[in-house]
Amino acid sequence: MSKISGSEVTRLIIACEAGMGSSVMVAGMVKKALKKTNVSVSHSPVNQLAGENPDVVLCQRGLSGRAKQAVPEVPVIAFDMFLGDPAIAKVIDAVLNGTMISDE
Amino acid sequence: MSNIIAGDANATGWRSAMQKFGGFLAGMVIPNIGAFIAWGLLTALFIPTGWLPNEDLAKLVGPMILNLLPLLIAYTGGRLVHGQRGAVIGAIAGIGVIVGTSIPMFLGAMIVGPLAAWILKQVDKVLDPITPVGFEMLIGNFSLGILGLGSALGAYKGIGPVVTWISDRLGEVVANLVSSHLLPLLSVIVEPAKVLFLNNAINHGVLAPLGVQQAAAEGKSILFMIESNPGPGLGILVAFWLFGPKVLRGSVPGAIIIHFLGGIHEIYFPYILMRPVMIIAAILGGATGVTTFMLLGAGLVATPSPGSIFAYFAMTPKDGYFQMLAGVLLSAVVSFLVGSFLLRLSKAGSDDLEEATATSKKLKKG
Repeated sequence: MSKISGSEVTRLIIACEAGMGSSVMVAGMVKKALKKTNVSVSHSPVNQLAGENPDVVLCQRGLSGRAKQAVPEVPVIAFDMFLGDPAIAKVIDAVLNGTMISDE
Repeated sequence: MSNIIAGDANATGWRSAMQKFGGFLAGMVIPNIGAFIAWGLLTALFIPTGWLPNEDLAKLVGPMILNLLPLLIAYTGGRLVHGQRGAVIGAIAGIGVIVGTSIPMFLGAMIVGPLAAWILKQVDKVLDPITPVGFEMLIGNFSLGILGLGSALGAYKGIGPVVTWISDRLGEVVANLVSSHLLPLLSVIVEPAKVLFLNNAINHGVLAPLGVQQAAAEGKSILFMIESNPGPGLGILVAFWLFGPKVLRGSVPGAIIIHFLGGIHEIYFPYILMRPVMIIAAILGGATGVTTFMLLGAGLVATPSPGSIFAYFAMTPKDGYFQMLAGVLLSAVVSFLVGSFLLRLSKAGSDDLEEATATSKKLKKG
């Protein structure tokens, strides 16, 4: 398990299998929500996460195991739905309010 | 909610292993889809049966499919293993399998590209620490050049003929599935695998390379339509919209647009994972689509990616719109009807209603 305070997050990566489809879409939504912060939000294929140096990774639950394996030190937050998932909202909240993000 | 979702956080399970291997194959194809589309459009326009038949411009079709696309795949495969140097040697090895055959050598490119890059990586590991200062460029260029020569020759004389033989056999298997009308059975494997996020692995790793082989020979292929058909997902989403748990209904219209028009199928997988019985609707819808495509002789000229209805229209040959639309719509109708039935059936004794309500509160808060 890893955690990080929302206020320390500077680089948030959304991962998916190819890094070109669903992650781009989620990244777009998260980017919009974090527009006023200076957090950089981008997307990546799950197997190239290590090179991205993320502070926090968001990905669909089906890929979270592989994401964790790629970046074991980084909190990997799994979500289920691509639209309106509370897990995504929670991470956005945590970044905005500086609360803890943890992938227990 | 998470406990009903067949989520697998285990990174060592079979599913991850398949995802990883398939993801690697798909990773060689997906970045190059733009080139596939360029080729597909070129074909649809200028071949003798196309929109604007033009013998001169159609000369581009053959070299693109036989040389450019496999080279791009070998290049990308090499880059995945060993960066830019891997990409270069991957392309050199790729030309070896291409020259040795008259079919589009996707399978061969997927093997020799990463393999040559892997060998170079091992050699670089040995040479890098002992390279004297000032000789980096000399040794780097010549190690790649000499190994490249070797891998092109090895690919041409060694791997090429083997892969050609394997490709021919795989092509025959597909032809047999088509001629014995067994193709719809593929849906029984494809649809469940798809919602486990093996969609890219199946489509781009397996079906698209075989489809391209068929499309190069016959001008179109049904194999492009087996995984990518947006119909079954559409039917399932509409079923969830009308008969799904109330908490989910709000998000469905957005999901329908993203899925059917945007072509991001991933968006409907979680709905099925939440109600695993719905996979039956996906399978029956998928099989209906494939059956319709098969009986009507539908096909696409190149891989429609993402699997959006717009990509379907763009990749449909001139005389194939009715066949394509019939399959997409029928698959949507069947998966909608079966899905609605299953949702209403499970509604009565639903044990996750409380959970759904709890999630609904959370969602409203978030």
